[in-house]
Amino acid sequence: MKNGKMKNDRQRTFMLITIPVVVLFFFFNTFPLLRGVYYSFTNFKGYGSYEIVGLRNYIDLFSDGRVGNSYLFTVKYAVVCTVIVNVVSLLLALGLNSRIKGKTVLRGIYFIPNILGGLVVGYIFSFFFTYILPYVGQALGIEAISSSMLSRESTAWFAIVLVGAWQSIAMNTIIYISGLQTVPEDVYEAGSIDGATGWRKFKSLTFPLIIPFFSINMVLCMKNFLMVFDQIMALTKGGPSQSTESISYLIYQNGINGGQFGFQSANAVVFFVVIVTISVLQLRFTGKKEEQL
Amino acid sequence: MMKKKLRSGEKVNWPITILLILGCLTVFFPLYMTIVIAFKQPSEMTNDIMGALGLPKSWRFSNFAEAMRVTDFWNSLANSLLLTVVTVVIAIVLHGIASYAIGRSMAKSKAYNFIYLYIVSGMFVPFAILMMPLIKQTAQLGIANRFGVIVLYVVFYMPINLMLYTGYLKNIPLALEEAARVDGATTWKTYWSIIFPVMKPMHATVAVLTAMAVWNDVMTPLVIMSGTGKNTLPLAQLNFQTQFGTNYNLAFASYLLALLPILLFYLFCQKHIINGVVNGAVK
Amino acid sequence: MKKRTVKAAGAGALALVISAAGLAGCGSQDDGVVTIEMVQYKPEAVDVFEELEQRFNETHDDIRLVIESPNDAMTILKTRFIREDYPDIVAIGGDINYSNFLDANLFMDISDFDGLADIKQAYLDMDKELEYVPMDGVYAVPYMANAAGVLYNREMFEQYGWNIPTTWDEFIALCEEIQAEGVQPLYFGYRDVWTCLAPWNAMAVDLAPSDVCYQVNAGETTFAENYREVADKQKQLLDYAQNDPFAFSYNDACTAFARGESAMYVIGSYAVPQIRSVNPDIDIDSFVFPASNDPEENILNSGNDLQLSVMANCENKEAAYEVLRFLLEDENVQYYVDDQSAVPCKKGEFELASMLDSMKPYIEEGRLADYQDHHYPAEMSVDAMIQTYLLDDSETALDDFMERFDTEWVRYNRDVIRKVEEYTQQHPDSE
Repeated sequence: MKNGKMKNDRQRTFMLITIPVVVLFFFFNTFPLLRGVYYSFTNFKGYGSYEIVGLRNYIDLFSDGRVGNSYLFTVKYAVVCTVIVNVVSLLLALGLNSRIKGKTVLRGIYFIPNILGGLVVGYIFSFFFTYILPYVGQALGIEAISSSMLSRESTAWFAIVLVGAWQSIAMNTIIYISGLQTVPEDVYEAGSIDGATGWRKFKSLTFPLIIPFFSINMVLCMKNFLMVFDQIMALTKGGPSQSTESISYLIYQNGINGGQFGFQSANAVVFFVVIVTISVLQLRFTGKKEEQL
Repeated sequence: MMKKKLRSGEKVNWPITILLILGCLTVFFPLYMTIVIAFKQPSEMTNDIMGALGLPKSWRFSNFAEAMRVTDFWNSLANSLLLTVVTVVIAIVLHGIASYAIGRSMAKSKAYNFIYLYIVSGMFVPFAILMMPLIKQTAQLGIANRFGVIVLYVVFYMPINLMLYTGYLKNIPLALEEAARVDGATTWKTYWSIIFPVMKPMHATVAVLTAMAVWNDVMTPLVIMSGTGKNTLPLAQLNFQTQFGTNYNLAFASYLLALLPILLFYLFCQKHIINGVVNGAVK
Repeated sequence: MKKRTVKAAGAGALALVISAAGLAGCGSQDDGVVTIEMVQYKPEAVDVFEELEQRFNETHDDIRLVIESPNDAMTILKTRFIREDYPDIVAIGGDINYSNFLDANLFMDISDFDGLADIKQAYLDMDKELEYVPMDGVYAVPYMANAAGVLYNREMFEQYGWNIPTTWDEFIALCEEIQAEGVQPLYFGYRDVWTCLAPWNAMAVDLAPSDVCYQVNAGETTFAENYREVADKQKQLLDYAQNDPFAFSYNDACTAFARGESAMYVIGSYAVPQIRSVNPDIDIDSFVFPASNDPEENILNSGNDLQLSVMANCENKEAAYEVLRFLLEDENVQYYVDDQSAVPCKKGEFELASMLDSMKPYIEEGRLADYQDHHYPAEMSVDAMIQTYLLDDSETALDDFMERFDTEWVRYNRDVIRKVEEYTQQHPDSE
């Protein structure tokens, strides 16, 4: 009897907390999204009058080479960045979580890249790519970097990867570190008795426990990199030869700055569906891992 | 390379320490460029490696003073601080407890599972599609101001924070709160007295991530608050770049100024991220 | 629902703190004083407008003028239009945004404004050409123009005895001569894609008709017929540019020119402040880009950089006109011209900046034409298309580019073309 009452209190409290939150979320996220979906069926410019054009925007979308290229570029960028960032930040988190000297200071330093806004970082690196790296390349006779990476299609995307990764590693490291905090010391003690060391210990003891954080990081990384915008603005403006136009860049440039709001809303709707699909797949995958272990 | 990282010995792990110190160069190098450029005059900018790396002729703070004047620094700073602090506090309070309610009910209830996915999927909505409707909506509600911006932030960062908190909650054993429940504490009380403190490292993480996002955000205040005469720091920094010219020297000086408060905030939060409370609590 | 959600958001705790942030109030008429709000989109001219605002308010008791110069003014204007929070006057450029705003019926017909008689016809015509379909009435007062062509380092030219070219062949010969002296003739900042449009516009005014876009919309011609030579010549310029011009930004190019690393720079007068910030002492002049071999065809590329439009729902038309009259007073025009090195659209004798010396005859005779890109929809990204073409080394680069220009134009201008079709059907004898 008492137990039932407690359970009721628990459920009621949870409901009372959840409902207003959901309402708030609906009102400022889903509702405007639905309005955006509505605009995707119009030729709205963002102001003034407009007409409903049915599925025209969606049909155009699939025949638009520029949009197609932006998807290819964005996905390539996001996958490469996600892998690099997760590997590096996991290593960094393990390092920063181990018994090192000057832990606080080091953690602070490694976090700095994340504090700077995306545009700022882009500006700094554009100096780096334009003036410093080619100089180094010429001095060392390395062909690949002796002219600016940003001016060639074959390398520009990777330059943006480097900048994106440089900046995001900090945030992912933090999430991994906070994940490592949840690993109780006694797990290690037990592990040490069994003689687990190094890679094996990481694989069988540490990693399973931080899988929730691994999946969060994978999903966040993927999402953030798929939405890449600032770096493009600061580094290439979509060039050279329109090879680095990301999806967000197109949506913003043409939808907000240009008069293509309706069309780009359709693009955004499709983009939204794509990201959600990718993320659900990712979560399914890591979720399975989580259960297995 | 990873061999010794996790061993719980008492000795300092020097190889890793040294590696990490060397790695700091990747951070310091760009930072050095920022500082050097921030101190130079536009006339010292040249199109070669020295333009980006050479030391300024003199270390005068005139760029910083000018940047502060152009951005109306103290007022912009106050607005940025207001937005950031209020959003962070609401995020910790509201997102924390919402995650508790949703996270703890997810396992058993399909409805909560759906709510979780519903909110988390919100993080994938491109801002550009929400922008125009939100501009209209906030204007109609009469909250096209700082209050409206905060409300939007609370909604924008809800998905990621929910994800972080529920992820963290998975590692907090139910036994912790069951003990309290047996003692007759209400759910509300259990949360505040037991779960909330245990989640401290995650609060710190959420605080850092939310603060960072708010601090650097240009778009939301630009489109929502324009016309209220209130500027945030990133908004004011738009002053440095027009299509027909960017003053990198002033801009970089201003970026450095804007970096300091948030860096201090991070250092403050970092302590709490590190002090894993769970370890002690579980035992 | 609204109340409830907001309440929930605060979770009780902080609602009070934030609501103190409050609302920005606005009213436009108290004690018989009319307030006229003007938004101008050039942040670099904020000081000028602050001064003009002060001068106006000192001399007018019944009208209070408020001029705002926000950063990223176009975004802000658009957001205000979404909110239906309209200023009284907007000062924007005569470009595609003007066409779009006009098409959305945002502006008032001001053909009864007396000041229009003082404006040079060439600039008024430009605004007429920006209308997607010919409209009755006048919707903007051209205020200030800029001029684009070739900036050159006058000191360097005098030192080597180089002459200003008046034909394409002379221009190429000059580039060769400069190169022979071991000096870099041109410097481009093509990494910033928009700068690809500077040579493009400057040459297109010489080689293509000014209403080419309207003609294409009406199905009378194609871009391939009109732009081929422009595109071809722009590519030839690369031979005289620095190594890898796509690695450098607009700022880099300004810096290079300012430091005497190149003798010429194909850009507009708007770049001069940025150049002077690097080297305040540089002696700059500019000449009209001679893209044609017939000097008569070479005209100045000059467009409305700042024009004044009264919003359709402005309640105090007379007061708004008073502001326009004030801004057009000779003294105030000259004040702006001095500060911004601009070209006034008003008739009369004004003292122009020395960097416009070689362009003066063209300005005085009105031998000028608008930037062609003012007619290009932003979302078509012609600038990026030009960059793509310039980077394309294949044999078919030019053909591909021309074909792409025509196909994409149709796609991005579908609604406009339909409008033009409807118009020509209704007005069969308009041509």
